[in-house]
Amino acid sequence: MSTNNKKLLNAYHVVFLTQSIMIGTGILSLPQKLSSLGYNQTFMPLLFGVIASVTLWPMIWIGSKYPDANLYRINEILLGKWLGKTINFFFILQFLVFSAGIISNYMHLIQSTALPEQTITLPVICFLLLLIYIVSGGIKSIARFCMMTFFITIGMMFFTSWAFQKGEMSHFLPLFNFTGGEFYEAMKKGYLSILGYELIMFYYPYIVQQKKAYKHTLIGIWISIFVCFITTAISVMYYSEWQLKNIEFSVLNLFKAGEFSFVERIDIIGITLWVFLILSSVAAYLWCAKKGVDSLVVKNSNAYLYILAIIIFFVVKMPLSRNFQDKLFTASNYVGYMFIIWPLLLVILYVLRKKKQVQS
Amino acid sequence: MSRKFLCLTSFVVLFLLAGCADKELKVPLEDVGMVGIMAFDYIDEDKTQLTVAIPQYSPQAEQNTQIFSVATDLVSNGIVEIEKLSDKKIVFNQLRVVLVNEELARNGDVLKIIQHLYRNAEVGNKVLIAVVKERGEEMLRYKYPDKPNINFYLNDLLEPSINTAFNPNTNIHDFMYEITNPVLDPILPFIDKNNDKIEIKGVAVFKGNNMFDTIKPEEALLIQAIKGRKNLAPLDINMNQGHGKERLMMDLIENSVKIKSNKNIDTPKLTIKLKIKGTLSEYKGERENKLNTTDSLAVLEDDVNKELEEDIKKFFAKLNDMKVDPSGLSEYFRMYHHGKWKKEMTREIISKLEVDVEVNTSIISTGTLR
Repeated sequence: MSTNNKKLLNAYHVVFLTQSIMIGTGILSLPQKLSSLGYNQTFMPLLFGVIASVTLWPMIWIGSKYPDANLYRINEILLGKWLGKTINFFFILQFLVFSAGIISNYMHLIQSTALPEQTITLPVICFLLLLIYIVSGGIKSIARFCMMTFFITIGMMFFTSWAFQKGEMSHFLPLFNFTGGEFYEAMKKGYLSILGYELIMFYYPYIVQQKKAYKHTLIGIWISIFVCFITTAISVMYYSEWQLKNIEFSVLNLFKAGEFSFVERIDIIGITLWVFLILSSVAAYLWCAKKGVDSLVVKNSNAYLYILAIIIFFVVKMPLSRNFQDKLFTASNYVGYMFIIWPLLLVILYVLRKKKQVQS
Repeated sequence: MSRKFLCLTSFVVLFLLAGCADKELKVPLEDVGMVGIMAFDYIDEDKTQLTVAIPQYSPQAEQNTQIFSVATDLVSNGIVEIEKLSDKKIVFNQLRVVLVNEELARNGDVLKIIQHLYRNAEVGNKVLIAVVKERGEEMLRYKYPDKPNINFYLNDLLEPSINTAFNPNTNIHDFMYEITNPVLDPILPFIDKNNDKIEIKGVAVFKGNNMFDTIKPEEALLIQAIKGRKNLAPLDINMNQGHGKERLMMDLIENSVKIKSNKNIDTPKLTIKLKIKGTLSEYKGERENKLNTTDSLAVLEDDVNKELEEDIKKFFAKLNDMKVDPSGLSEYFRMYHHGKWKKEMTREIISKLEVDVEVNTSIISTGTLR
């Protein structure tokens, strides 16, 4: 799609973009990641939601100062051409590794549950082809895909109803029964699951009603937070603390509690539908990486998209040990936190510059 | 032009290179042996006898079930051994029942076996677990002349049929939940072969990771009532409340329970209020011909209340001695306790626990005859 700054995204596009990017593989293992809190994890997603709403503010603010520039441009303006470009390069790397991490995580899950007798090469190639197709349509096609994703996958909430019926409400009590260390541990591991709203900094210039962007993004964030909250609440009701700690993909086991006489394993339906959620997240990240490449090179071309997809393929399939891969992906996850801090830094830089300009 | 060329080359390439693909190694459905029942029997501390029953669909075979049995130390190793014996590929997608014999439940590591199955993504969540009195292998190998295939028979027996008979059916998730939850001790149905049939004899109660004792189905019914199950199995009451020996049977019971704790773990005390609604289906005793007015029924209800209260109190006295908590009553203290809850605390609470029981029975009908 065109690279000139046409305004493309309506209010509902913004809501569902934010919402669908946030929900990826993270939520599948959210109860496990928060398990250091034991039964007290129920309300953590709500706290995360508050933090997300607060940290969203500097992102929108810095965007509103440069309504026609995405974060790559802003970096170059505020940090200077060379420093800005270097940092943009690292952003692109981060996006690529992060996407590869999500894909690899999901594909290994597919391999261990749905397709135990196959290698993941073919599914990864199919996935990447679809991804290229979605991303080459530009941010608007991603936003539309996100909307579709939401309405297709929200029905899966129904699959948790059996677990809800079986669960014990009394697990919610006592409230606030944890130590600071446990809280920190849960915070560190769990917040990852709701990352994704920071991409607003990249598609902000395409939004039609930029004045209301904060409100629309908030709606998206809180839809996701609500979904996360339901997930943790039902997990807490259904599992013992040992199970919370030791079941890696709690949501799948919640689905397994289902009782249809004609379907033996509902978790397979769930996990295969999940591909929509993964596609919508990764598409947005890949689009951001593509925008980054556009900002680095002089000539824009769709070929870069294919190159990026090939790079992702090799990161996923790289002939290195699983251990190294895991470390790389974990590291990139933690680097993901940087995007929460980064706009703050930019805001400070911006304010300092303005002062200088006023003085001189 | 170039597009045509591209189409042509890709077509040719795809057509020719198809021959280079690896031959797919997928097992056709006829060659898959779907395990229906697994039985574990105790040999010694390290070894268990693993027996599996696989439905046989081949019309040439005389028996409708294939049984394989090996001695093994690891579950997965045993499965590999069985695969060597079998003409089919063993899969667990249709596993329905896991049997553990009493000796293994008392001395062996049941948790490890069940955990292995729980970890396996192939195994569904509807797998029921039961404890067998003698040996599971014998139970599977025996021919039940008037019953269908053992796979169906055992599953149907353990499957919760809608409150026709008492059934503490426990699937893999329930068992893992109960055994890893510090406020609960798991219960499993206890079955035994009796001539040509299999019978649910009672309920095996675990203490920690091992089986501790068996209790009678009537007592287990009380556990379910206190746990708050909505529909109960028919209740069989033997009364002696000043009217001589009486026997009555209540059916289609709706149950609701309210439990209040005093939130004190040093002197634990619970107030349990049970509300039972049901149909009086049969009565035998002194008042047989006087039960046609609502007043006389009210008197009977009071007597039933007293009787049930006594039963429950007796049962709790037994639990105090055994120090096991199959109904999860310590949960009512954990809810108000700050800090980590440990299994020892449950033991302590259940040994000291005092209960106040209040039962409120109402007989909705006695059938259509007066």
